[in-house]
This record gives sequence, C-alpha cells and structure tokens, in this order.
Amino acid sequence: MRKLVMSAAATAMLLGSLGNAGIANAGQATLPTPQDQLVRTQPKDPSAQLLDCYGTTGNMGCGPGWFWRDGWRGWACYPC
Amino acid sequence: MLTMRHSLTGAAGAAALMFGVTLGGFSSAAAQPIDYGTLPVDPNAITDSTAWVATAPVLNPQGQPGVTAVYTHRDGSREVTDTILVLNDPQGAMSALTQGRAGLGADVVNAATQPAPVGTDGMIATGTSADNTQSVAVLTFVEGNTFTTIEFEGPLNDPAPIDLVTEYGKMQAGAIAAALSA
Repeated sequence: MRKLVMSAAATAMLLGSLGNAGIANAGQATLPTPQDQLVRTQPKDPSAQLLDCYGTTGNMGCGPGWFWRDGWRGWACYPC
Repeated sequence: MLTMRHSLTGAAGAAALMFGVTLGGFSSAAAQPIDYGTLPVDPNAITDSTAWVATAPVLNPQGQPGVTAVYTHRDGSREVTDTILVLNDPQGAMSALTQGRAGLGADVVNAATQPAPVGTDGMIATGTSADNTQSVAVLTFVEGNTFTTIEFEGPLNDPAPIDLVTEYGKMQAGAIAAALSA
C-alpha cells in the first residue's frame, strides 16, 4: 500500500514538473514584446575612456594623462 | 629675466666678495689651475636632449673667482643660470651661502624653501619673479670651497620640476667635486 502511495506521489510530481516546463516553453515561444526586451537587456559595466590633454588617447605613445611637448627635458611626455 | 639673473649673481658675488676679503683675499683661489669654464654642467646632459643652448661662460663674475653659465631653451621660454663661486675654503663658502640666500628674498617672490640632497646644505627656493611673470626655482649649495647658485626661470604655469632641479644639482656638485679633487 505504502509503495503504491509513493509511486503515485512520484508520478504526480513528475507530471507536475513536465507540465510547468511545458508552460515555460510555451512562454518562450511567444514573440517578446518591446517591454520584455527592456527587461532582459543587461547594462554594460561602467567604463571610462581616458584621454590626454588634447582629448585624444595620446601622441607619441605618451598615453592617458600625458602629452608630448617641448619642455624642461626637451621633447618628451609631460603630465597634463 | 636678465635683470633677475644679474641681480642674483650680483648678490651671490657680493656675499662671496665680503667673506673673501674677510678671509684674506682671493690670491690662492685665483692661482688654482682649475679651468672654471669647464665646471658648469650642460642641462642637455641630464635631459638627453638638445633643448638647451649654451652661451659662452663668463669667468670670474662680479670679480669673484668662478664662473657663470647661461643655458637658454631653444624656444626661449626657459633659462638656467649656473653660477659657481670659488672661495678660499669651505668655511668661506658656507658664509657665502648664508649671505647669498639672504639676498634671494627680493628676487624670488612668495618663496617656499625645501632641503635638497645636493652637496652640503642644499636648498631649493621656489616662487615667482619679482614682476610675477615667471616661475623661479633657485638651488643653492656648497661643495668643498665653492658656493653654487643655479636658477631656473620658466613660464608661470610650468615651473621647473623639483626632480629635475635636484638631478641637475647633483650632477653639478659631482662635477665640482671631481674638479676639486683632480
């Protein structure tokens, strides 16, 4: 008797999960509305584009925060 | 610019002259075989560039044994004036240092001072020119029986970097020490 009850319960659980899966699949098969797309879009991680003194990424390989000019050490990279 | 350079050199020279006379004149210093004209260090040596143009060194500025060399940046925006005065002994050089620094106040406005690891009792005074049109940094130190004043003049918004001033001073002190020990 106990085995019969357990089997019935297991069958019921299996059918229930399959049923939910079917519902889920059915939902995915529908065309997403624009509202759905907004919800699912992942925002990009914050990022910053470092620029040199002239608003570029650097001249002569100076890199961000530096710029190329003729200063105390002659032509060289100097901080902004 | 030139006015300031001459006044600074003059102040240093006057100080050295006063103490030189007190110590008994310059006969021994003047008799030294050192060619003072070879003492100044060219700023191009520390900048690895050709940015600096040297003028002919002036020997015995203000009648004091030593040399003054002026280096001008090729764009004319900066100038380095290197004055090395030779005293009779280290005590005379230290006295000249004290007097020379006392005279800097009139030429370096709003001066801030900081010690510099150059020679003996190295110090850097930074500020602006008397007419507030240029940045000024003056390095003073003693090496043996010499008193050196190195002045860096440049744009207000681009003063001489302290690391460059220190680096140049160390090279200059080394050149003096090598010449004195030769």
